[in-house]
Amino acid sequence: MIAQMPAVQGEETGEMVPLALLRAGQTGRVGEVLGNVELVHRLREMGLYHGATVRMIRPGSPCIIGLDGQRLGFRGDDLARVLVRVPAMAS
Amino acid sequence: MPIASDKSTWTIALVGNPNTGKSTLFGALSGLAQRTGNYPGVTVEKKTGEVIHDGRRWLLVDLPGTYSLSPRSPDEMVTVDVLLGRRGDVPPPDVIVCVAAAGNLSRNLYLASQVLELGRPVVIALTMNDLAEAEGTKVDVEALARNLGVPVVPVQARRGEGLEALKDAVEKAGAGAAPASADVFPEEFRREVDGLAATMDGTPRYLVERLLLDAGSYVEEGLGLAGRERDALRSRLEAARARLVEVGWKTPDVETASRFAWVARATDGTVIHAGDRGPRVVDRVDWFLTHWFFGSLVLIGVLLLTFSAVFSWANVPMDWIDAGFASLGEWVEATLPEGPIRDLIVGGVVAGVGGVVIFLPQILILIGLLSILEECGYLARAAYLMDRIMVHVGLSGRSFIPLLSSFACAIPGVMATRTIEDRRDRLTTILIAPLMSCSARLPVYTLLIGAFIPARAYLDGWIQLQGLTLLGMYLVGVVVAAAMALILKRTLLRGGTPAFVMELPAYQWPSPFVVVRRMLDRAWDFLSNAGTIIFAVSVVMWGLLYYPRLSAEDMAPLAALQAQAEAEMEAAKSSGDEEAAAAAEAAVKEAEDHIAGAQQRQSILGRMGRWIEPAVRPLGWDWRLGAAALASFPAREVVVSTLGVIFDVGDEVEDENEQRLVQAVQSASWPDGRPLFTIPVALSVMVFFALCAQCVSTLAVIWRETGSWTWPAIAFAYMTGLAYIGALLTYQVGTRLFS
Repeated sequence: MIAQMPAVQGEETGEMVPLALLRAGQTGRVGEVLGNVELVHRLREMGLYHGATVRMIRPGSPCIIGLDGQRLGFRGDDLARVLVRVPAMAS
Repeated sequence: MPIASDKSTWTIALVGNPNTGKSTLFGALSGLAQRTGNYPGVTVEKKTGEVIHDGRRWLLVDLPGTYSLSPRSPDEMVTVDVLLGRRGDVPPPDVIVCVAAAGNLSRNLYLASQVLELGRPVVIALTMNDLAEAEGTKVDVEALARNLGVPVVPVQARRGEGLEALKDAVEKAGAGAAPASADVFPEEFRREVDGLAATMDGTPRYLVERLLLDAGSYVEEGLGLAGRERDALRSRLEAARARLVEVGWKTPDVETASRFAWVARATDGTVIHAGDRGPRVVDRVDWFLTHWFFGSLVLIGVLLLTFSAVFSWANVPMDWIDAGFASLGEWVEATLPEGPIRDLIVGGVVAGVGGVVIFLPQILILIGLLSILEECGYLARAAYLMDRIMVHVGLSGRSFIPLLSSFACAIPGVMATRTIEDRRDRLTTILIAPLMSCSARLPVYTLLIGAFIPARAYLDGWIQLQGLTLLGMYLVGVVVAAAMALILKRTLLRGGTPAFVMELPAYQWPSPFVVVRRMLDRAWDFLSNAGTIIFAVSVVMWGLLYYPRLSAEDMAPLAALQAQAEAEMEAAKSSGDEEAAAAAEAAVKEAEDHIAGAQQRQSILGRMGRWIEPAVRPLGWDWRLGAAALASFPAREVVVSTLGVIFDVGDEVEDENEQRLVQAVQSASWPDGRPLFTIPVALSVMVFFALCAQCVSTLAVIWRETGSWTWPAIAFAYMTGLAYIGALLTYQVGTRLFS
């Protein structure tokens, strides 16, 4: 299954964007996390697992994200990228 | 199978995510009956306590907060080994209490799903229900316990609620069987683990799972395999991973995917969200505190208040300690017969150790305030704000808290780097932490600024030149530290800017128990250091300053002068002329100090000072300053008392004597009569002490934390080099500017 392929279910629609592009208050679902295997695993363990709902609280670098009742200060390194799926924008 | 119901002493292990109130629960359960130490060979704190429940003694083991049981370092391996009962120094746990915060249950239950695989009885302590309910989340405890298959007990440790229920649940769980291990992983993965486990007799199944999941995990090193055996294991693991990828399960992603899916099933219908709760006051406060501008203003204010509190509150207890050591010295002087033993105890032990112990109040106050800021959740926000600045020197916001602590003392600062996961980052932070001006530099700055920097004021007295100079010394350390971090991250510890992930915990009132406990632990660390290393070096330095003694013919004229002054004093006293008596007393003191000075000059240290004089001349120093710098190698604050001794002021340099030392350094001169200290010389001495690594305790703690002599050696070499260059530049540029 290719991630970019348009799917029928609601969950799979929308586009994949880097987490850093979310605006304040916008939510998305965590998709791929790219980067060093250990760091990716640690991020997943802290709650950025596939399908987790993430809300941008304060954009920027580092940003603050809300994940299931917790807040994380987060800045990816040169390689780590968190991709999130956001509902297709109407514009 | 009942595991341990017949034993008289049970071991209960406490494990949980950070910021779940685990330490508070530990404190509430064990009260004051607890001990802190270290697991040998690693830098993990070993915290144990004692609970008596129904006539049975429980050994409570508090493990470091962690998000997961996937060991990536020897330190993280300790937690796993304790839980699996594989360490000789902690008995295998009879019950594991997994502390989970109700507010973000899924991340907490991720850890619980790993704990449930260890084959030991488990009880879940559900904390922070009040916070979760304020956020609009309510947990159906009974349904959750049913789904998980283990008891779940809500506790409010701070108010003492739920503790008895928790103890009863532990008692019951320990008498029963371990829960069936949760079937978290997909069928194909479990089969691979079964296959590997069959070939690895005696290795717990959980560790086999970890071997398969974490390439390069610490578990492999712990097996102690070498050569062909290790290669064989690696290729078997590689083959297994390849087979799993073919059926769609990539390691280690399969773990988070499977466990979070299991958590979702376990919590299905047990967590009631009250819907959108709308904006709350706490959110606005958080918005303000994490705002780049307003938040930074608050941070600067908090830091200013903290440091002024450290210096102003500590004054009184520091005077007490000082007076205590002074009277101890006097008592020894009065009790013991004159001779080297008495001099050793008074001049070496009491003066050396006392000079260091005097900083205890400052360290206690700073640690207390920092613990309060950390416990209430503020320091994580400060670290978040500082990340913006730290990235410019190749570090992350995680290095902020250790560096902040180093302004009190580099020892707790270096120990606080344990929370930095990236090894290169941690080493960089350790190496630059001693550049933060610690409280031991303050006496040096105070003395020289008071003596040589004019008391000029600008802007109606709001800005003082002396205060600016002091601030300048702090800035010298910070700027050099930033430059060193940049250099280290580009050379010795080359690596990109690390990613920054930090939980911003919910705001809450700090637990007094945890704060006091941390202060006591630090105080104990500090005092045991003072009792060992500082004690030993003080004795050695005393010896170098004491021997060889003046010969009889050198001593004769000086002793005659002293005897004459003493006779005059006696005469003046008996005649009742108070003015003459006071003058004669001063003359006696002067004669005594003169003898001490002559003795100092010809001691081993004095000779070394004169031997290194050519090296310190370019800094504008004479042999006496060189000797003082050498003598302060064990602890930089020693330089003030050494200067006092060398400049014939006497050992005590506090209070009115401080003034005498100020006068003495102001009137000190070169043999040709030029004043020794000019403003550039005073600045050069201060810059030297701002940058040098004159602190044996810091070097020792760096050795302990890094496990090798390489890093303290590097720290010492680069800091001493920088201190020399800094002092040289200050003096050379300064003389050209001022002349």
